[in-house]
Amino acid sequence: MYEFEYHQPKSLEEATKLFADADDPQFMAGGQTIIPVMKQRLAMPSDIIDLGKISDLQGISVDGGALTIGAMTHHNEVAGSDEVRKAIPALAELASHIGDPAVRNRGTIGGSIANNDPAADYPAALVALGATVQTTSREIAAEDFFTAMFETALDEGEMIVNVTFPAPEKAAYEKFPNPASRYATTGVFVAKTGESVRVAVTGAGACVFRQIDFEKALLGDFSPSALDGLTVSTDGLNSDLHASAEYRANLISVLAKRAVKHAG
Amino acid sequence: MPVISLTVNGNPVTADVEPRWLLSRLLRDHLGLTGTHVGCDTSQCGACVIHVDGKPVKSCAMLAAQADGAQITTIEGLAQKGKLHPMQEAFRDNHALQCGFCTPGMVMMSVALATEQPDLDEPAVRKGLEGNLCRCTGYQNIINAVMVGAKAMRG
Amino acid sequence: MEKYGIGQPVRRKEDVRFLTGTGTYIDDIKPDNLIHAVVLRSPHAHAKILDLDTSEAETMPGVLCIVTGKDWVAEDFQPMPTKSAVNKKIDGTPLNQPPRHAIAIDRVRYVGEPVALIVAETLVQAQDAAEVVEVDYEELEAVTDQIKALEPGAPQIWDDIEGNFCIDFELGDKEGTGKAFETADHVVKLKLRNQCVTAAPIETRGAIASYDKDTGKYFLQNATQNVHANRDTFASVLKIPSEDLHHMAPDVGGGFGAKNSGYPEPSLLLYAAKKTDRPIKWIGDRNESFAADTHGRDQATTVEMALDKDGMFLGLRTRTVGNIGAYCWTVGPFTPTGGSARTQGGPYYIPAMHYTGIAAFTNTMPLDPYRGAGRPEGSFQIERIVELAARELGMDPVELRRKNLMPADSLPRKTPMGLDVDTGNFPEVFERTLKMSDRAGFAKRFEESARKGLRRGFAIAPYLECTGGGPKEFAGVKFGKDGSATLRVGSMSTGMGQETSMPQILSDTLGIDFEKITYVQGDTDATPIGGGHGGSRNMEVGGSAVLQCAREVLVKAKQLAAHLLNSNADDMELKESVFTDVKTDQNVSMADVVAASFDQSRLPDGMEAGALDTDTIFEREIISCPNGCHSAEVEVDPETGTVQVEHMWIVDDFGTIINPMLADGQVMGGVAQGLGQALMEEIVYDEDSGQLVTGSLMDYALPRADSMPKMEMAFYEDAPTAKNPLGVKGSGEAGCCGAPPAIVNAVLDALKEDGVTHIEMPLTPEKVWRAIQDAKQQGA
Ligand SMILES: Cc1cc2nc3c(=O)[nH]c(=O)nc-3n(C[C@H](O)[C@H](O)[C@H](O)COP(=O)(O)OP(=O)(O)OC[C@H]3O[C@@H](n4cnc5c(N)ncnc54)[C@H](O)[C@@H]3O)c2cc1C
Ligand code: FES
Ligand code: FES
Repeated sequence: MYEFEYHQPKSLEEATKLFADADDPQFMAGGQTIIPVMKQRLAMPSDIIDLGKISDLQGISVDGGALTIGAMTHHNEVAGSDEVRKAIPALAELASHIGDPAVRNRGTIGGSIANNDPAADYPAALVALGATVQTTSREIAAEDFFTAMFETALDEGEMIVNVTFPAPEKAAYEKFPNPASRYATTGVFVAKTGESVRVAVTGAGACVFRQIDFEKALLGDFSPSALDGLTVSTDGLNSDLHASAEYRANLISVLAKRAVKHAG
Repeated sequence: MPVISLTVNGNPVTADVEPRWLLSRLLRDHLGLTGTHVGCDTSQCGACVIHVDGKPVKSCAMLAAQADGAQITTIEGLAQKGKLHPMQEAFRDNHALQCGFCTPGMVMMSVALATEQPDLDEPAVRKGLEGNLCRCTGYQNIINAVMVGAKAMRG
Repeated sequence: MEKYGIGQPVRRKEDVRFLTGTGTYIDDIKPDNLIHAVVLRSPHAHAKILDLDTSEAETMPGVLCIVTGKDWVAEDFQPMPTKSAVNKKIDGTPLNQPPRHAIAIDRVRYVGEPVALIVAETLVQAQDAAEVVEVDYEELEAVTDQIKALEPGAPQIWDDIEGNFCIDFELGDKEGTGKAFETADHVVKLKLRNQCVTAAPIETRGAIASYDKDTGKYFLQNATQNVHANRDTFASVLKIPSEDLHHMAPDVGGGFGAKNSGYPEPSLLLYAAKKTDRPIKWIGDRNESFAADTHGRDQATTVEMALDKDGMFLGLRTRTVGNIGAYCWTVGPFTPTGGSARTQGGPYYIPAMHYTGIAAFTNTMPLDPYRGAGRPEGSFQIERIVELAARELGMDPVELRRKNLMPADSLPRKTPMGLDVDTGNFPEVFERTLKMSDRAGFAKRFEESARKGLRRGFAIAPYLECTGGGPKEFAGVKFGKDGSATLRVGSMSTGMGQETSMPQILSDTLGIDFEKITYVQGDTDATPIGGGHGGSRNMEVGGSAVLQCAREVLVKAKQLAAHLLNSNADDMELKESVFTDVKTDQNVSMADVVAASFDQSRLPDGMEAGALDTDTIFEREIISCPNGCHSAEVEVDPETGTVQVEHMWIVDDFGTIINPMLADGQVMGGVAQGLGQALMEEIVYDEDSGQLVTGSLMDYALPRADSMPKMEMAFYEDAPTAKNPLGVKGSGEAGCCGAPPAIVNAVLDALKEDGVTHIEMPLTPEKVWRAIQDAKQQGA
């Protein structure tokens, strides 16, 4: 690892200032992505600003039909939270399948979505549930938040504060894990809320995306068979060591059907 | 260099750490606790799992500086007064280790699983160990040991 | 009370150390004054080194020494020779063996080849300096696949070795086999691969080297499986006498063959240690483990079988091409040649067999033994062709196997491959496995799977092995006045528990307290010779040496006991640690005999104090033939291609079982590696660039707790071998022989209605899914 300065601010203001004053700073949440990356010398920030001690970033709360999760909330907290299990069980389920127990004890929702790994799980939930990302300067709709592979709408020094999820009527997430890394080779999150159905796909492309034709088909008939006969185009899908675009297209169909069934 | 204070296996420790030191490095190179092993660069193998404030974490994916104020338990802190922890005993009785390299992480993860899930069943053990790789045992004896150890921990 | 005799499941001594975090692995050792090294490795699969400039790196903070190919040339250091037992081509000329230096001289031939060793006060300083070493490469075309490497026009890896050809080899009766095929009613043919995999021990490789100016001696602590042979290799590289290198292995975190080899790094470290006059540590990281630990398997094979109209096997013909990488490593060329040849045909009675093996050079990390070293490949070849034959002939695969197994009364028998199979009962082992496998319940489980939209399949795979490794082993015992004993053995454990099982043999034979036995291994100064660990030889050769040593001690102890009791050695009987005169009933304890052995006044004429101390060398005449049978039941999700192995049943004939708990452990560990090969593991190089694609645990999948089936095991113990005094047959590699064919054939059984007849390993979800799609299309 290269040398860097380490800071542990106690407030968002302090963090923002530290960021502004440094050469090439980076925020650190759970460190489950950034530490392995720095360890392999693939990144060399001048300053690491650890967000772990900022109370504004913590906590899970429910307000009416909406669930708000602080950016620094660990995956295990989401998985085990009674509030989450009650409001959006599919989200708790998703969190319980990220990495492994040790990773879930450190990794955070803020870090996961800020990183926007194409194979990360949370982005599918945010997009399918129509979540809103609250940052230090604005609110961003999930769909506008994830812009490209490892890229988000966040500006330099802008921090994620929390994420708010409207509770759906029905929702489920199905993941096909990469046998080596445990990330999603492909993951499909399906959510039905009133008159809207959303199907968000992660792991298959450069960035999370919605499968619009599936959504249309499910709007009239929220059942697995509604997707029969629909094929997924391989355009824009990833091909790598573990899965070709064609195979991922198949996974999208299979996982979407399973998610719909699972959502009930 | 940040100065941090923490508790390691019940003993207070104060250390002058470089920001870039991993917690695994602090434990192994500076505190001489070499039971915590490092088996990979990408935080996949789990050989380095320890408890931070009672929870299992990968010490290769945490900075030493982040452990300021933490209560840390490593494999060396598990046996009490020369008596093996029930989980260690179960690993030995069930031949749940061969080369022993994955063992510290396995045992620490297993103790955490048994503590968090008192009604641990076999599928839960298999899932709970998803971040701990062993190349020697084929896992079956580890799974048996965790079931036995968990039972012994319940008393 | 625990019992410590042979056959007891004695809990392991070493476990307390490993379970409390007090083991001593290489990276746990920290000599005073320690400095650190990193290896700069080739980023290219094939390139000329036009220039290598270390001038800036040398000025970096903390840098003490940089070793490059220039030093190697200047010092005239020697290449590392291959020790392959097969070393002549079919035409009698020697194998093509290019020089394998510890460091690249002017050309690199695989990604990961050492180019420079950078030594600094701290690891970070060494890493920093490595980044500014400037190497000017001229890239050359690369080839990573052995079949392509042998094609005309392929990139030439060695200027003076035409066609990337290392060696060819044949065994068996070519003409007779040809005739069997001509007269056969059926001929079945299959092309298949045993893909390239790697051992991936959880502890990566590492070493600490130092040099003592005053004595002129080098000291190397090394995470290795074999201290003696590798000492000789490193000494020959550095042109020093072997005695000047003390080579020791601390606790080793798994090896499986990949820590057997004479690697480049230790020689570089030893040289740098002398230059800097400081102890130097190098610990490979996981990426280096994938790039620069020897690889395993990697054979592309055509296998053909001739059968008569009733399905009796008439002939087997195998032609395999092995990828041995860019160099002949320690014994690399042996694996696809002799290594796979001898157990061809497995436990079946096949009158005519012929085997051809070719080893080819490619731009990849070289091959060396990996758990089984050729035998798992052979076992997979025969079991796949048998399964296919059953399919093509419309016969029940169980029935086809049953009728072709070597009958019990055909043993002892020399197979057409020249393998002496002395004892065993293949039909009995097969039937026992089948009985354990709950075939009666299969139909119900099949229905249950079908209801969930899943397929279920079953297969059984008997295997025949022969154990390998060096034929000689040393054992020595030294007693203490307090009745303690130190047992030194030249074979080595890297996790298999010899620290427990070897003392078990000593304790059993001599009645000395198990707890008072100290075990020493992996130290060239403690034992004059040693074969290390490899080819499942530990118990067979090392254990036999311990038994031989114990028996020699016993002879002397009886004499001494007789002297103490004023009676005859012949009348002495040792039982529960006490010698009793069968005639007079007088007795003396073993502990007292040991004590007396240090008291000249109590010794008979001709015995000196310490008379019981004994060193011995055991030499086996001939290898043993472990065998057994695996069966597997699998569930396949046809929509995603995911395979879950649900259950495996295993019966092994390892002759005498010294410690059933440890033998079970060996089997299960082998099965996990076999399952890994069958379903998920593969070293992949990019075909065009020769880059290693699977360079981390993010890409190379290893089996986890939830990948593994329930395993039920039993031993067939009625056929101990007479080839060694213990009656043991090696157990370490069996799992890798049985599991891959059992699992792969079970998957194909599950997909038989889909029309799938073959899928190459590893059977990843995508490959399984694709095979189903392809079969659908063909059927349509
Ligand atoms: C072995 C292993 C397995 C894993 N498996 C999975 C998996 O299956 N699925 C999955 O989705 N993920 C997986 N992960 C990743 C894991 O979920 C990480 O926790 C996550 O990607 C990053 O979260 P973090 O809190 O650790 O962020 P960090 O690593 O601390 O930070 C990641 C990035 O986010 C930025 N950042 C962090 N917080 C904020 C904030 N509040 N505002 C703005 N920027 C911020 C940082 O600057 C950094 O660039 C795995 C990781 C490991 C090590
Ligand atoms: S060292 Fe492998 S997970 Fe920490
Ligand atoms: S015991 Fe060797 S890796 Fe688990």
